[in-house]
Amino acid sequence: MRGDGKRWFCVCLAAAAILTMAACGINGGQGSNLIVQEESRGKTVNLFGPMEKSRPDGINISRTAFDMTVSMAEEQLGLIVEYRTYTAENYQEKTYDDVTLDRVRNNMDDLYLLNPDTIQILGEEGKLADLSGLENADNLREVVKTANVVDGKLVAIPQEVVVHGLFVNKDMFDKYHLKLPETPEDLLECCKVFKENGIETPIGANRWWLENFVFAQAYADLYNGGNTEEEIDALNRGESKYSDYMRPGFEYLQKLIDMGYIDAQAAYTYEAIDGEGPDFLAQKTPIVMAYWGAANAVTAYGEPDFELQVIGFPSSRGQMPVVSMTGYGVNVDAEHLEDTMNVLDIILSDEALQLYTETNKVISPSKNVEVDCIPALKQLNDKVRDNVYVLGSNANMKVEQWGNTCLIVRDLLQGATVDECMAEFDRLQEEAIGK
Amino acid sequence: MSRKKREKKAGRGIPLLFSIILVFCILGAIVFSVAWKISAEMSSSAIHNLNESLTLIKGTVEAILTKEAEFQDLIAREIVGMDEPEEFIRAYERNRAMVKISLISSGETEGVSNTGETFSEEGLDFSAGKTVEGLPVSGSYINDMGTWAYTIKCPVIKDGREIAWLYAEYIYDAFEEALPDGFYNGNAMLYIMDAKSERLVLKPKGIGERNAGHLNLEDFYRANNILEKDLQAEVDNYVKAGKNIMFYHDIRGESSLIYMWSVNDGAIYLIGYVPIDAIQQEGKSVNQNILIVVAVMLTAFFLCCILYFFNQRQQNKIREEQEREREIHNKQLSEALQAAQIASKSKTMFLSNMSHDIRTPMNAILGFTTLLNKDADNPAKVREYTKKITASGQHLLSLINDVLDVSKIESGKAMLTIGEFTLNELVSSVDTIIRPMAGAKDQKFHVSVTGVKHEYLMGDETRLNQILINLLSNAVKYTPKGGNIWFRMIGLDQRSNQYEHIRIEVEDDGYGMTKEYLETIFDAFTRAENSTTNKVQGTGLGMAITKNIVELMGGTIEVSSEVDKGSLFQVELELRIPDEQIDKLFWEKKGISRVLAVDDDEDICSGIQTLMKDTGVLVDAAYNGEDAVRMVLDAYGAGKSYHVVLLDWKMPGMDGFETARRIREAIPEPVQILFLTAYDGEDMQDEILHMGNAGVLAKPFFVSAFKEKIFEMQTELKENGNTPEDENGSSLQGLHLLAAEDNEINAEILRELLDLEGADCEIVENGQAALERFANAAEGKFDAILMDVQMPVMNGYEATKAIRALDRKDAKEIPVIAMTANAFAEDVKDALDAGMDVHIAKPIDMELLKKTVVQCIARKGHKE
Repeated sequence: MRGDGKRWFCVCLAAAAILTMAACGINGGQGSNLIVQEESRGKTVNLFGPMEKSRPDGINISRTAFDMTVSMAEEQLGLIVEYRTYTAENYQEKTYDDVTLDRVRNNMDDLYLLNPDTIQILGEEGKLADLSGLENADNLREVVKTANVVDGKLVAIPQEVVVHGLFVNKDMFDKYHLKLPETPEDLLECCKVFKENGIETPIGANRWWLENFVFAQAYADLYNGGNTEEEIDALNRGESKYSDYMRPGFEYLQKLIDMGYIDAQAAYTYEAIDGEGPDFLAQKTPIVMAYWGAANAVTAYGEPDFELQVIGFPSSRGQMPVVSMTGYGVNVDAEHLEDTMNVLDIILSDEALQLYTETNKVISPSKNVEVDCIPALKQLNDKVRDNVYVLGSNANMKVEQWGNTCLIVRDLLQGATVDECMAEFDRLQEEAIGK
Repeated sequence: MSRKKREKKAGRGIPLLFSIILVFCILGAIVFSVAWKISAEMSSSAIHNLNESLTLIKGTVEAILTKEAEFQDLIAREIVGMDEPEEFIRAYERNRAMVKISLISSGETEGVSNTGETFSEEGLDFSAGKTVEGLPVSGSYINDMGTWAYTIKCPVIKDGREIAWLYAEYIYDAFEEALPDGFYNGNAMLYIMDAKSERLVLKPKGIGERNAGHLNLEDFYRANNILEKDLQAEVDNYVKAGKNIMFYHDIRGESSLIYMWSVNDGAIYLIGYVPIDAIQQEGKSVNQNILIVVAVMLTAFFLCCILYFFNQRQQNKIREEQEREREIHNKQLSEALQAAQIASKSKTMFLSNMSHDIRTPMNAILGFTTLLNKDADNPAKVREYTKKITASGQHLLSLINDVLDVSKIESGKAMLTIGEFTLNELVSSVDTIIRPMAGAKDQKFHVSVTGVKHEYLMGDETRLNQILINLLSNAVKYTPKGGNIWFRMIGLDQRSNQYEHIRIEVEDDGYGMTKEYLETIFDAFTRAENSTTNKVQGTGLGMAITKNIVELMGGTIEVSSEVDKGSLFQVELELRIPDEQIDKLFWEKKGISRVLAVDDDEDICSGIQTLMKDTGVLVDAAYNGEDAVRMVLDAYGAGKSYHVVLLDWKMPGMDGFETARRIREAIPEPVQILFLTAYDGEDMQDEILHMGNAGVLAKPFFVSAFKEKIFEMQTELKENGNTPEDENGSSLQGLHLLAAEDNEINAEILRELLDLEGADCEIVENGQAALERFANAAEGKFDAILMDVQMPVMNGYEATKAIRALDRKDAKEIPVIAMTANAFAEDVKDALDAGMDVHIAKPIDMELLKKTVVQCIARKGHKE
């Protein structure tokens, strides 16, 4: 016991001596009085993407997952990916897509997160680099390649397959003993019941995603009828009209507006989720539309106070998910083209996509990555797995779908007739065929 | 340590503890105030530094704006002199800052631009009235490059007349280079905000989505949880007034400083936040270092305290030990004093007792001697007086023996004479002495030996005898008439194969002892005295001697007693087993291989079997007469007759004699029968003689006694009933003895006593004379030599050695018997070593002397 005490005392004394000596050794002692300024940062890659409003203390899972893959690239390549963002403050301002087009055309950045319409526009302009040479491009699912090949070049690759669906408050449906809608008629019936029960606007909408109703009804047969390529060829050749496909959807939207199930004025001014989201979360609106990731993100609909279910949009073939491809594109004249390609190769690697997909619980573009989804997304996921979906954008179609349809729907919201809207489709088709 | 002392110490400790706490509180307060002061000064300095940094950045941005305005003004002046200013405009190539240049002639609404498009002022907002170097600057907007930009317009004045307006578009991205790279090591955020629209027109980059993602001031507030409306309103007022402002707020759980720095008279603002920790790194570091120093000092202080505490504890321990030692010393001293006093008292008492005890027999001796002288003519009285004188002398002798024993033991000179002995002899000798004593007091004396595995053992038989006699004679002494005395010898489990573990128990149902007396029973010079026992004579040394001998033998002695109930003494000893004690040959020679033991006490049968285990003789047991008869019959029928039947005399039902009779009737062979009895068997002799081939074997059973008996009976049979020589009837008649005795009185007594026995005794005065007389005598002249030891000229030992060394036939063989007052074990040993045959202690016991002389001469004759 006594020996132990002495031993401890010696150890303490030795530790104190070592600390003292170490403290003396901290003195710079480089023998030089020169203070050299540290070198500035090394390589950078400029990334331009949309801005999502962040909550004060919330974590945006989607962004975090993306940041993690970016961080992976930064570590492996020893460079920094610099973010630049933009989101319109209101509908009167330039849209993200407009700004993106300007920035790509002016070579402002290296890497862009692009919406389907901008992918097609910039691809056709030759402003996007061909990504088919990337090591990981071979892992992509066919549907991803199909949607993003423009003029034979793979111009964009997503980190997730974006699936749009109807987000429904299952508790409210149960309250009024309603089944989840399969067909457009079912949805009308549901809206009627909600309206009768004092819910002023059963469907919350924004100026971006109402087009999904149109796509679901327009292309349910085209993509699920077994004759897809021929039908698209016929459209590209002008033998069939987009307006014929689109009309039922537009007429249906018109009906929803006319019957007061959608507030057209509000929808026209609402930004995605920011506009209609609060009412949906407050259970004032039983139905909204959004993309898959919104069900996982706390900044969107990740933590509702009710049972959330995500289903496909109603169509003659039942619930129909709408798949649109946002993707990362590289400016063909990028200042840091090689580094950018390297970054993209890493953030699209199976390892990175596994991380991204597991974190976000989304559908991966890589055929090698599969993860389970959250229960709310199960119905939607089952449909996609069964290959029951429509594409919201398809680079094989000469008329860009996602952006144009969105704009024409806005016209409808602003009072244009269905015929006028169809005339616009016809004009676009003629213009495209003329090119 | 006493409780009082501890309380006193604790009482001293509390004020000390409070003093230390007080000192620490004061020290803590000083350290805290110093740290707080340093922190406040550092904070003030840090805020000042931040202020300076922001002012510097502001200055840089304003300088850029000024340079832009000056450059634009320069171009405007250049344009004045140009013939085709539109061409100049169209030819202009954008640079990193000025991305677009346009010209609208006065009076026109549209003009030309370097981008080739028609340019108009539409979309440009100059309503805020902000200027740079007097030139109007527009609000911020997203330009056709997709980035935030502003336009400065400059009049083109020719001859004092405004001929056109030159518009130059600048992008905020150009300020990036002017802003610090990683403000406060990347911990601080810095945005540029358009004051009118409150849009964030330049955001930090390369720091992740969250921080790159604020849209406008409102979004900045929301994202950073700055939701206090009053605060927002106040900030708005300052922004509208174009003033700089800073305020504290928590951002993502960190206390931060939010700043809004007006640039260009409030046209744009530098806004952002920095965590307090980031700007007060030095302060924090200083405080941390102060804390480390304080912690180290405290640790050192506590270490010192611990060392001091340990040292004090050590000192206290040493002091306590010293105190304890002193106390022990004092106690020992007081005990020694007490012991000395007790010893003195005891010895005084002892002397008083001895005086009394010696004087009493002496008084009797002298008194009776006087009477003897007076009544010399009356033979009856003479015999009576001499008998009483002898008794008194015997008592006096035992007193002297005990006193000498104690003296010897206490001086550590006592030695054990280890030799081989048999328990049989030990028990029978003790029995011989004690049984008559007990019988004299009508006491029943019970002897039992159980569980003993070996009866041949190594030890000091004399001392063992002494122990047993002491204990048993005490039991007899302190037990009233008609009482019981038990003497038990119990074999315990052996701890080692080489040692027999024995417990000797002596129990009585006599007077018993008080608890107080029990505590001192083994002390010398103590004697139980009360109204009942004070008539018992004794030196009070017996138990002390006993205990000392037991301990000398490596044993233990314990006593338990209750007044009027009796006492129990238990002695435990371990006695070595001799290496060779098995005498299987004896039994083979005697033709004995099967023995039947018959006793109603199973323990006795078992004991016999245990003791006979190593003899090679099969011992069967029967517990009653009927079984015994049957077993004998069965064995006979099977051709395996028993050679000896050991038969208990007293058995319930069919007794021993009846059983023996039936055995005799049952089988024609006169099987040897030995009756086991605890009695002397006198009254059985006739029946036994009548029965033939039968005898008596005293209980307890011992193999040696059994062997002796078998030997005796078989010899008897051989000699056809010739009885052995009666040893007790031995006589010294006709013997010629030589005695060496220097004391004339003793010599006279010896001569007279031997004369009475009919022996012729020649007495010489020393060893030398004895030697010479023997040497000069004819061979066989003397039958034995009685040799005193302490003699002048030549002592007994030397004389004996010299006699043994003589070159004549009888010198080696003549019995030399030591007769000496040197009566200790070592004296006996010395005598034997000197060549003497046997040792007899003085005073002379004539009977013992006779017996010894006869035995020695008989042995000599046997050898011859």
